[in-house]
Amino acid sequence: MAAPLTLLLLVAVTVRAALYRSSLADLISERVEVVSPLTAWKRVVEGLALLDLGVSPYSGDVFHETPLIIYLFHFLVDYAEITFMLADVITAVALYLSVKDYNKQVFRKQKYALEADRYPLDCLELIRSPKEMQYIPLKVAMFYLLNPFTILSCVAKSTCGLNNAVIALFVLSTIKGNVLLSAIFLSLATYQSIYPLTLCAAALLYLLQRQYIPVNLRRFSFWWFVAQYAFMYLGSLFVIVGLSFFLLGSWDFLPSVYGFILSVPDLTPNIGLFWYFFAEMFEHFRLFFLCVFQINVFFYTVPLSIKLKEHPVFLIFMQLAVISIFKSYPTVGDIAASFIKHHKASSASSLNIFLVSCVLLACSALFPVLWHLWIYAGSANSNFYYAITLLFNVAQILLVSDYFYAFLRREHHLSHGLYLKRKDGSEATLVLK
Amino acid sequence: IIFYIFSTLYFQLSFSPLVPQENAGQFFSSGHTNNWAVLVCTSRFWFNYRHVANTLSVYRSVKRLGIPDSHIVLMLADDMACNHRNPKPATVFSHKNMELNVYGDDVEVDYRGYEVTVENFLRVLTGRLPPSTPRSKRLLSDDRSNILIYLTGHGGNGFLKFQDSEEISNVELADAFEQMWQKRRYNELLFIIDTCQGASMYERFYSPNLMALASSQVGEDSLSHQPDLAIGVHLMDRYTFYLLEFLEDIHPSSKANMNDLFKVCPKSQCVSTPGHRTDLFLRDPGSALITDFFGSVRKVEITMETINLTEPIQQRQKETYSYVDQLPVSEIIHQKPKQKDWHPPDGFILGLWTLILLVFFKTYGMKHLKHIF
Repeated sequence: MAAPLTLLLLVAVTVRAALYRSSLADLISERVEVVSPLTAWKRVVEGLALLDLGVSPYSGDVFHETPLIIYLFHFLVDYAEITFMLADVITAVALYLSVKDYNKQVFRKQKYALEADRYPLDCLELIRSPKEMQYIPLKVAMFYLLNPFTILSCVAKSTCGLNNAVIALFVLSTIKGNVLLSAIFLSLATYQSIYPLTLCAAALLYLLQRQYIPVNLRRFSFWWFVAQYAFMYLGSLFVIVGLSFFLLGSWDFLPSVYGFILSVPDLTPNIGLFWYFFAEMFEHFRLFFLCVFQINVFFYTVPLSIKLKEHPVFLIFMQLAVISIFKSYPTVGDIAASFIKHHKASSASSLNIFLVSCVLLACSALFPVLWHLWIYAGSANSNFYYAITLLFNVAQILLVSDYFYAFLRREHHLSHGLYLKRKDGSEATLVLK
Repeated sequence: IIFYIFSTLYFQLSFSPLVPQENAGQFFSSGHTNNWAVLVCTSRFWFNYRHVANTLSVYRSVKRLGIPDSHIVLMLADDMACNHRNPKPATVFSHKNMELNVYGDDVEVDYRGYEVTVENFLRVLTGRLPPSTPRSKRLLSDDRSNILIYLTGHGGNGFLKFQDSEEISNVELADAFEQMWQKRRYNELLFIIDTCQGASMYERFYSPNLMALASSQVGEDSLSHQPDLAIGVHLMDRYTFYLLEFLEDIHPSSKANMNDLFKVCPKSQCVSTPGHRTDLFLRDPGSALITDFFGSVRKVEITMETINLTEPIQQRQKETYSYVDQLPVSEIIHQKPKQKDWHPPDGFILGLWTLILLVFFKTYGMKHLKHIF
């Protein structure tokens, strides 16, 4: 598997390098769909320049990256393109390895289930065989690397690529079962943007499962493991935050980074839902709606983890998708991260993939058009752009719920047989309520 | 002997007649040799009649005391004498009941109407006029000129409004005077301003040999004096009204000095508090005569004797005027040293890499460590 992967990596790197050399790089790095105030490369350069002038980069509303990014780019600012390509490569390789490992576990579980005769007889065609899953890791890596969104995000040198790399490494370490590394990467991801906190539950569930600790609230072993993980996670988070304090000697990165993410002061249009709503919000209600919107991101953790507690890896990807839709400053890089595992669920079970992907493609094409009409031609207004944003997000949500439905339906078939019969014997179909 | 007594009857300035030759040097090293006046009214519209009347009354006094029209630059932003609303055309009165017509029939206005702009005013002061500008519109002063600058209009804290559309700020004015100093366009300069919050306009001066008077302090308004019911507007501002009264008593041989001028229009008459600034003026204000600025008084010593100027004239050593240190010139000429780049603190780097190494070895087991050590 190494050779096709290497080939894929080479192709991806070539595509990105070619785009870097072209004139499109500057154009793309200014598009609001690709970069946000949190991730723009221009702001990173500006922050480093401020630091060279002896001023804290967090003074003023320019720079919203964490101090570790300052440290990283202080030495790598001339090699930025290579850094981002490397981040994409690391993400792809990490995903590849994690999917490979996960497949092995899936096969093992299937084998046990088959031996234990747990599957009804008519759903044998749903069982995955190693042969059909052989190319899945490669496909996952390809899907991520050659995704136009990822390429755009890389060419724009948006630090979203680094965030995705950290999340991919977290996924890899979780699937491999390494508790310490998983906690460390999760804390790094949370340190970068607060939202990966929701992945904590998924990681916990997976690691518990792997260690054969049942999720029983009354058992001591459960709590002991949770305490261990929480200790490692919180400990590494505090260590990283403390280190960041020592980098610049002040705590003003906290309001600049986390305060910025949570309180959404910058209302530049992007492909998310926050900007339009808060642009027309009365100041009186702003805090209330801010809390509502932010809770919305974190809220899906609880029901999703209850529903998907047997399938924590799927839960991880569901969470990623939810985060990328509802976070305060989404960019297409986040969208790319959320698409990672979606092809894996059997497409036959899902209802309207084709429609949704068409909508997504159309919206992606319409974004620059309506932006131009709004900002430059002046014949549209922000409502047009917001409409496309809404449609894009709705399509994403439909996609997520579609895959969810497909996944659940498959699981249902696996436990109850392919041809569903109602109690009186007539044919029935599954509906997601 | 008769001739000797005759010679002492005329104007002299601390000039000993006994030994003319020795004092010839003192005579030649006097302060100024010519006088100029720049009188500016910056407001237009009929209800700002009083600003035109202010300027014209100062013009009248200055002309009466000897400054010729060729040495006066008069800038009036509007024409009140021929305004449609003037019930007495071709007149501008400064006293109620039409006592004093300051317009007269020999007023020469150099900049009129829309020509009175901030740009033109600053160009007149600094001398940066296009070559086609006629002499009457130029301030052709040299380094032995005493200049009187009188401004009136509507102003505020740090600015003066021109024509209801633009403003000159106190910083601009101070810089213009510095340019004049650097180009040796004045010997001494008296600046009088009659606007609201006028003292703010002279706060920023930094060139030597400037004396400034203003009709009100920062935060105060300068008030107008009397309305005339027949004409329907206020005719004069208080400060200039009392200034005019004071100047009516000055004649070319008057010895009144600047300290008397500072006493014009106390708070009881003016309601606002007039201010003055003399810290940049190198002479003692008590030794500066009113006629040094408002009149064109020549030091004339008439003598019937012949004086042999055989030795070279020893000019009295003037005190060298020094610039107020405004610009750190050496820093501008020499490049600033390049800022040192920021480096992350060593403790941070140490801590970070220690942690990374620890995690690495924890993950991959201690046997690797054992291999190394």
